[in-house]
Amino acid sequence: MIREASRVLKGGGLVVFPSDTVYGLLVDAKNVKAVEKLIALKGRPAGKAISVFVSDFKMLGEIVRIKKDTLATLDRLLPGPFTMVLTSKHTVSKLLESETGTLGVRIPNYDPVTKLVSSCHRPVTATSANISGRPPHYTIGSFLKEISMKKKKLIDLIVDAGKLPRNKPSTIIDLTLPTITVIRKGDITVKDAQTFVSHAPIQTKKIAQYLIQKILVNEPQKPIVFIIEGELGVGKTIFVKGIGEYFGIRNIISPTFVIYFEYQIQKKPIKQLVHVDLYRLEEAEEFKYLGLEKYLEKGNLLCFEWGEKVGPIFEMLKKKGEVVYVKIRYANEGSREIDILDVKQKLKAQNSPLRPSDFAGQAKRKTTT
Amino acid sequence: MVILAIETSCDETAASVTSERRVLGNAVYSQVLIHKKWGGVVPSLAKRAHEERIDFVIEEALRKFALTNKILAGPAATFPPASARKKLRAVGSPSSRVTHQNFINATTSYIDHIAVTYGPGLAIALEVGINKAKELAIRYNKKVIPVNHMEGHIYSCFTQNSRGNPKRPFRFPYLTLLVSGGHTELVLFKDHITYQILGETVDDAAGEALDKAAKMLGLGYPGGPVIERLSQEVKNKDFYLLPRPMIQSKDLNFSFSGLKTSLFYLLKKKGKEKARRHIRELASSFQEAVFDSIVKKTETAIRQTGINRIVVGGGVSANYNLRTRLRALTEKYRGSVIFPPYPYLCGDNAAMVGVAAYYRAKKGQFLKNLGRLDRVPRLRLGESK
Repeated sequence: MIREASRVLKGGGLVVFPSDTVYGLLVDAKNVKAVEKLIALKGRPAGKAISVFVSDFKMLGEIVRIKKDTLATLDRLLPGPFTMVLTSKHTVSKLLESETGTLGVRIPNYDPVTKLVSSCHRPVTATSANISGRPPHYTIGSFLKEISMKKKKLIDLIVDAGKLPRNKPSTIIDLTLPTITVIRKGDITVKDAQTFVSHAPIQTKKIAQYLIQKILVNEPQKPIVFIIEGELGVGKTIFVKGIGEYFGIRNIISPTFVIYFEYQIQKKPIKQLVHVDLYRLEEAEEFKYLGLEKYLEKGNLLCFEWGEKVGPIFEMLKKKGEVVYVKIRYANEGSREIDILDVKQKLKAQNSPLRPSDFAGQAKRKTTT
Repeated sequence: MVILAIETSCDETAASVTSERRVLGNAVYSQVLIHKKWGGVVPSLAKRAHEERIDFVIEEALRKFALTNKILAGPAATFPPASARKKLRAVGSPSSRVTHQNFINATTSYIDHIAVTYGPGLAIALEVGINKAKELAIRYNKKVIPVNHMEGHIYSCFTQNSRGNPKRPFRFPYLTLLVSGGHTELVLFKDHITYQILGETVDDAAGEALDKAAKMLGLGYPGGPVIERLSQEVKNKDFYLLPRPMIQSKDLNFSFSGLKTSLFYLLKKKGKEKARRHIRELASSFQEAVFDSIVKKTETAIRQTGINRIVVGGGVSANYNLRTRLRALTEKYRGSVIFPPYPYLCGDNAAMVGVAAYYRAKKGQFLKNLGRLDRVPRLRLGESK
């Protein structure tokens, strides 16, 4: 299937193809004729940019200029449902660029597209399969219904993956401006490279799913540990529910009462999800009795709510696991800011590692109030 | 049939001796007093405390059982048989005459089976009770009856004192509402040991929501009783009309986590000083929002199932205001509602486990292989191991 699509693309053909968001229209981004065909099909006004898929950072560097600090941002967010606007190196068709010479690029976390693009050895257009200005499509049928017979003839190949999950089109982030600017909001929006913004529980879940997906890409050799901080009601359990749903677990509830629940997972490479809530823990010594060490093995995923209290076992988690910090804050009514830090950043931000003494301090504060 | 029941699913270490629906000896070791100091339950105590106290608690239940049998020696007594009473008298309570272990050995000879909670609950806590049950079963050659903690809460409404009161004959089917710190669910109780979950919480339990609200309001632990008292002082009125989560949805599921968020913003808007002055109004409004959801969902369940006889179990069922509201609801539908007849039956206890076990035993649901029993932290009603 990939080979056939790749052959059609190389020959200047137009392919309707599924993606991590909606159905897309793919042509070879370097082939002017193919791009013209695409623009004719979409009825896209001239001068309006069309973004492209690349398979990896190497291909990305071949078509856009990447400054050092933007590289850090790209590295944090990609692959994922984002379109990054960067300054074009003019190696793809000029028709795809904006009037100011920028180009939107995507590295999706979606195997069929990345495999296809790498087998073509060239960037491929990443525009949604629809008529310009109309909503995108989640099934092939609804797309075909929208276009005329004449336009249908422009299509060389359709890859039908059935009904796609209702993900929004990607979030478009402009990295050519002095500050990171979100131009279009998709499912996952950001404030900056490490702060995500959620306006609803469903978005918090999507952010969680994006993160776990991103971690799994690197095939971690250690257990994955999410340490989640945030006040009561901010959405910590929602975040873990999002992770659970990614693995097909739909019955996650707050483990506050019994400290932790374990869930068996059928989806590789994770075997077990352990959902811990440290809310009721008050003394460092208590960790001894929970027996959490036995869960720290490859293939397990541990989520700690009330990560503020993780101090006494922090060193152990760091040593044995792949630790991701998640800080959820109330921003304004109805929205949350979610910081994602890896351990190194966490240490830098705090200027010192979490120690058991942090824990004692917390307990003390509580008793004096 | 005399059952020794063990319950260690979370914070209480409990044991009980029951005969059919009657409680002949009951002991609970609660950690609430310790936890008060910390403003929450201290889970380290879970495993360690259960291990440290389980023998003591079992012995205490057996001691009370031995004493109760003297009380039962009247004409109404059907248990134990005269010969057994005589033997028991000879044994007496642990004294210098009978050594400690002799007492246990002697009393356990009156025990037919051992019941134990195997879920839902905290894994390491459940393990303590299960291991103890296995140990006793081997030593005294008894059969084990594994019990679901939640069915225990259902049977808590039908648990009787040692004299067999209250009578409460079974009139199936029932609609069961279970509300506690760890659970909130609506269950169809079709017949003995036959359940179907109709709806349950998708996030926090009702009792957990009340505890957390108490924490946000700077109140002590446990939060439920404090909130209940403060709410009573303002006649359980609703002042702030917090949102009622999932009340519009037609299913019977509950959600309480959004309420915490609403309370958070309300407290922020008011500021600390004003919040402190209006603490009663805030507590009452929160409790009303929780209870409104519970009552409305129960009403929906009555309509959907056509069953107007309600059984309510779990710690939150001790709340007077909730009881009043549920009574009013069932009156509206010309039905009836029953609650655990004694306060100790609302919280976690082993008596209810023993009673549920009796009905399991009647169906022959004994554990066949001791080695096969494992804790099931997320055990659900209507699902077997």
